[in-house]
Amino acid sequence: MTTANLFDQPGPKAARRITLFTIGAVVLIAIVVAYAVMELAARGQFDAARWSPLTNPKLILFLLQGLLNTLGAAAVSLVLALVMGIGLAIGRLSDVRFVRGPCVVIVELARAAPVLLSMLFLFLAFPLAFHIDLSAFWTVVLALTLYNGAAIAEIVRAGVLTLPSGQQEAAYAIGLRWWPTMRLVLLPQALRVMLPGLIGQLIVLIKDSALGFIVGYQELAAQAQSAALLFNNPLQTYVVVGLVFVLLNSALSWVSTYVSGRQVGADSRDQAITTVGLEPEAAAALRALDVERRMGR
Amino acid sequence: MMSMSDSIIVLEKVNKWFGPAHVLRDIDLSVGFGEVVVVAGPSGSGKSTMCRTINRLETINSGAIRVNGQPLPEEGKELANLRSEVGMVFQQFNLFSHLSILDNVALGPLKVRKQSKAEAGERARWLLDRVGIGDQAQKYPAQLSGGQQQRAAIARALAMDPKVILFDEPTSALDPEMINEVLDVIGKLAEDGMTMLVVTHEMGFARQVADRVVFMDAGQIVEQAPPEIFFTRPETARARDFLAKILK
Repeated sequence: MTTANLFDQPGPKAARRITLFTIGAVVLIAIVVAYAVMELAARGQFDAARWSPLTNPKLILFLLQGLLNTLGAAAVSLVLALVMGIGLAIGRLSDVRFVRGPCVVIVELARAAPVLLSMLFLFLAFPLAFHIDLSAFWTVVLALTLYNGAAIAEIVRAGVLTLPSGQQEAAYAIGLRWWPTMRLVLLPQALRVMLPGLIGQLIVLIKDSALGFIVGYQELAAQAQSAALLFNNPLQTYVVVGLVFVLLNSALSWVSTYVSGRQVGADSRDQAITTVGLEPEAAAALRALDVERRMGR
Repeated sequence: MMSMSDSIIVLEKVNKWFGPAHVLRDIDLSVGFGEVVVVAGPSGSGKSTMCRTINRLETINSGAIRVNGQPLPEEGKELANLRSEVGMVFQQFNLFSHLSILDNVALGPLKVRKQSKAEAGERARWLLDRVGIGDQAQKYPAQLSGGQQQRAAIARALAMDPKVILFDEPTSALDPEMINEVLDVIGKLAEDGMTMLVVTHEMGFARQVADRVVFMDAGQIVEQAPPEIFFTRPETARARDFLAKILK
């Protein structure tokens, strides 16, 4: 849709070439898919016996419990990650080197470490270091918070840095100090600009919660694994569970688009200077062009 | 010339470098209480930079700045206090885009002066009426024209009851048809006795409103004189050259 202004409109030769390649690609994909389906069918993967357990109310309840656990860990992590992220972003934007330095180190470390390893590490190290047995839930939540908090810190920091410097200067000029300027002027604007990015991070967080199986957290993917073992239908179970994840995250993705669209609507009212405010109109214009073009063909 | 004790702003031998560029050279300037000083000069002459040093949005490398008799504080509460008494109006308006016009004006009184919501709101309304945009109070900055935004920014500066207001090219970002509505507001403030330092290219305004014109070129104050003298018999060749170009 937005490619319309990234590339030249194709001429007759290019148009023919594109049509040719498109047909070729579709045929190729169809062959691969057909082959896979035939092979799967030959191995009985489409047999009713493998799919019917998935309609079992007890199994559905079992998987729902997993979904609930996934959402629970994600929700708690999200709240903690937001707190940690905003705190670290503010720290990293600070003028004071002793505040900024540690924040940089924490963010970079937490961002670079694989969530899976963080989980394992917390699970193994926490009881040894603090003589506290961390429950699976809290292991998952802490690991997710660490990584996503660092990621959110960078999103928020970028949001503050994209604001025009005049916003900060104007706040200083009326006598606000650093923290009130941050709290009253910069952060509210940055969070609004960054809302789609934050929702994107929430999607990452929900997906990563599936790693909780490694420490025995009974989230959706772990429940699926147990169920699949019982009924000997892993492919079928994972397809269904995968679809649940896809639906959930697509819904969030849609919310993000909707929010940013509204955001942009609000922006064109009150923040025309930022490019964020221009995008939706440009996008709408491009959509209109695209429709015209396709109708003309 | 005014004696130091009558001056709200005093700059003495102020120098500033941006890397190798010497942007302010031995600036000596004083602004008296109630005085309207217009700073003119070609682009890049250091006018805006000088204006911004007065509330320390730019730091200086040497020299001294005194505001209201006190050396300019370098940080912390003292600096914030000083800034709250020195109003500033920017070229790009810099209204807080997430706040309504009313909240833009009331923010300083609420959060810096710790006024009550009712008090700050009432006064903000009064100020917005005074600059002629009382009916826009509930709108957001981007819903207003540039001229209206700049008048809101002036109201925001006035809300702090500043002892002096710095105008940093207040009409340079405006469409031509909106320049006068802003200059009219600034002119009225001058009539009311507000002390002001105005960096501007609007020579007609300078002629009418200024008590004194300060002409800068290449980081130096080249010449300063009352407008009737500056515009009719400038002393230096640089000023004559500048006026010849700008008054065509």
